[in-house]
Amino acid sequence: MRTIAPGGDHVDLMTINLGPSHPATHGTLRLFAALDGENVIAAVGEMGYLHRGFEKMIEQGTYQQVLPYTDRLNYCSAMMNNIGFCKSVEKMFGITPPERCIRLRVVLLELSRIIDHLVCICTNLVDLGALTNFWYFFNTREEVYTIWEKLCGARLTNTVTRIGGMYRDAYPGFADDVRRVLGRVEHAVAEVRGLIEHNKIFIDRTKDICPISAEQAVAWGWTGPCLRACGVDRDLRKDEPYYGYEEYQFDTVIGTSGDTFDRMMVRMLEILESVSITRQALDKLKPGPVNTTDARLSLPDRQRVYHDMEALINSFKLIYEGVRPPAGECYDAIEAANGELGFLIVSDGGTNPYRIKVRPPCFTQWAAFPGMMEGAMVPDLAAALGSINIIAGELDR
Amino acid sequence: MLDWVIANLPLIVAIALPIAIPLVLFHLLPLLVLMERRGAGVIQDRSGPHRAAVNLQLKSIPGIFNDAVPGLRLRAFGMIYNVTDLVKGLSKEFFIPPFAYPGWYVIAPAIPVMVGVLTPAVIPWFGDMATSVGTIHGTIFPTANGLLLLFALSSLSVYGVVLGAWSSNSKYSLLGGVRSSAMMISYEVSMGLAVLGLLLIYGSFSLQDAVTWQSTHTWGVFVQPIGFLLFLISLFAETCRNPFDVTEGESEIVGGYHTEYNGIRFMLYMTAEYLHIAVGSVLIATLFLGGYQLLPVPGWDTDWLREHLGKVALALSIVTALLLFGFVKLILGRRTHNAAGHATDREVRVREYGIYAAAFSGLAIGTLALGGLAAATLWHNPVPAAGAFWSPVVLTVTALIQFHIIIAKALVFSWLFVWVRWTLPRFRYDQIMDLGWKVLLNVALVNLLITAVVAKLIKEAW
Repeated sequence: MRTIAPGGDHVDLMTINLGPSHPATHGTLRLFAALDGENVIAAVGEMGYLHRGFEKMIEQGTYQQVLPYTDRLNYCSAMMNNIGFCKSVEKMFGITPPERCIRLRVVLLELSRIIDHLVCICTNLVDLGALTNFWYFFNTREEVYTIWEKLCGARLTNTVTRIGGMYRDAYPGFADDVRRVLGRVEHAVAEVRGLIEHNKIFIDRTKDICPISAEQAVAWGWTGPCLRACGVDRDLRKDEPYYGYEEYQFDTVIGTSGDTFDRMMVRMLEILESVSITRQALDKLKPGPVNTTDARLSLPDRQRVYHDMEALINSFKLIYEGVRPPAGECYDAIEAANGELGFLIVSDGGTNPYRIKVRPPCFTQWAAFPGMMEGAMVPDLAAALGSINIIAGELDR
Repeated sequence: MLDWVIANLPLIVAIALPIAIPLVLFHLLPLLVLMERRGAGVIQDRSGPHRAAVNLQLKSIPGIFNDAVPGLRLRAFGMIYNVTDLVKGLSKEFFIPPFAYPGWYVIAPAIPVMVGVLTPAVIPWFGDMATSVGTIHGTIFPTANGLLLLFALSSLSVYGVVLGAWSSNSKYSLLGGVRSSAMMISYEVSMGLAVLGLLLIYGSFSLQDAVTWQSTHTWGVFVQPIGFLLFLISLFAETCRNPFDVTEGESEIVGGYHTEYNGIRFMLYMTAEYLHIAVGSVLIATLFLGGYQLLPVPGWDTDWLREHLGKVALALSIVTALLLFGFVKLILGRRTHNAAGHATDREVRVREYGIYAAAFSGLAIGTLALGGLAAATLWHNPVPAAGAFWSPVVLTVTALIQFHIIIAKALVFSWLFVWVRWTLPRFRYDQIMDLGWKVLLNVALVNLLITAVVAKLIKEAW
């Protein structure tokens, strides 16, 4: 392709389609790049190959029926989406779930964050050609999934929460299982850090590759580990604490240069912080109810349904109609593994949501990505794309 | 019959050798593939290849197989995959992409394989044998310029890659082809310079002379440690193995030069890769690790080996048998592990591992018996004069032992290739160029300079 450079010279560029089916795009993304040799001169990103009409679909069902859909947003950490959505709806009702439910949710949130980061880092390392790390992390992730399976029967798409509580309480021995897996996580992180942290090839491949400045990152609306890698101290768990995060002792991991190395290492160290938070939450986990007693959300006790007319009506209304949040608009967000995961819910007072807008963390990162690519090389593309952790499921919705 | 064979042994060896050596490399191929897969499994905390199996339904033999545990399954540690892979490759459609240049597209994968088969011709596999039909060289093509020929041949293999990439007429292939041509040419420079210091010491381009020098002095790795490292790194680049596998770069440019290849043509490229590993390992063993000589002791050359053939054969057979028995111990460990497990095919597994253990124990005992036989017949015998009745046997056994020594050394290096591949991340293309031209080349030049001065001084002093 013959183009005219800014100076007026003619240059021959090769246009190339990286995606929608390309080994480096974990999911269906397309990057259309103009190459001069191996250097990316210009790039255009395109999304929408996985568009499933999520936001339109969930308007057709009740609030409870939205939950299984949220699993499919960021499928690497499905529970975070469950919890994020439930938290938004609970905010509309103005209720807080019971203490035990919140502690359990914190455990699940942090374990989900751990496995999300594990997947992100190990697939990123696969893109860099370091294949072995993939198994070190995936074996550990599988053990977390075994806990998921014991907890709710599903490994990937969990649908583990309910509005106002949990699907069910944790099984006996849950805390011990989690503690054992946390040890395995620390071991795996130590192994992979030993393999890459001081590896000259790894550092050459990631240091100063596709950096983004703090100002740019903020301007693009970045959140989460990618923003923190640029040196911006922004973590919803610290800045707008929810679920009692202010009670836990943990550090926000901050990078300096916003390059691929920082993005990967911020995630790596966040895993260790999450391990610490999970242990603290397990220590604070006390027996008790996991579901709210609010009659607008929670099914009444079965015995009462059989003997009490009001309870029977309540049960019927909840099952046949669903929950009815008060009319209005509500935005609530949690710090998901990849950044701020927000749900804007518009309710008309009915049982179906009038509109739900998801604010996925990787949407803004994908928007900035083609700009970051310009001036980089083709191999950097794979490295940087892995490090910003685009999940097509929540990108396209 | 035996007399006839012994009498005509030199002739048989002379005729069989040019056919056998390339075939031996092809026989190494499945071993290398197995090593790669098993090695990956070991390094990556997973089982490795374990599905492809030969199932024998032998219910009819009473007393051995009962109905509860029918048949026998042999997985041969993943070796069966070599067969299934080949069958798969051959049974695929011979597809040529409509946009490719068909002629070059078909020819290209054959070139690296051809190079891989030709290069062993200049490598000395054993010491020269003076026989009744004349001298049989350990090299198929004995030439004074063996190393030059080797470098010339190995440079040719890049043509296969570039031609395949170009004729595929695909952008990803083109990127891979450009990368590989640039990389191979660059690393040829450092490779040549790395060996040059060694050549100053050996004083010859002949690989046979290199081995002879090493048997009278010491191994090349001790006189040229830096050259050895440089050569090793360049060899990794030449074979396009991780961390230099940017030519394939599966996460960046899909499949690199073989993106558009499938079936048996794709497998030819893979074959070439493993052939190059085998040849490279043999070459590094020849140049730096004494070739077919047993140990880095001055004077332990071919004649010494012939004199002490019985003792050496016994010692080697004991070492081999010990290694085999160690392996049997591992197999029995797996057998116990399986017996304690709850797999549905537990009985089949236990029987399978029992058979492996028996087979390898038998192999070990056979090796010991062979060693003992050699020791008993050749312990006190002086080396028979050329033309004597036993002379061909001594010469041939010596040659066989030397051949196995060099193969063993090469396999150690092949394992290094596997180990590195599953440990290190991949370089970026321009970083490889930086390393080649800015680091390796300079180090090689300095190494060459120092070697030249020191070699000159030492030779003057003598």
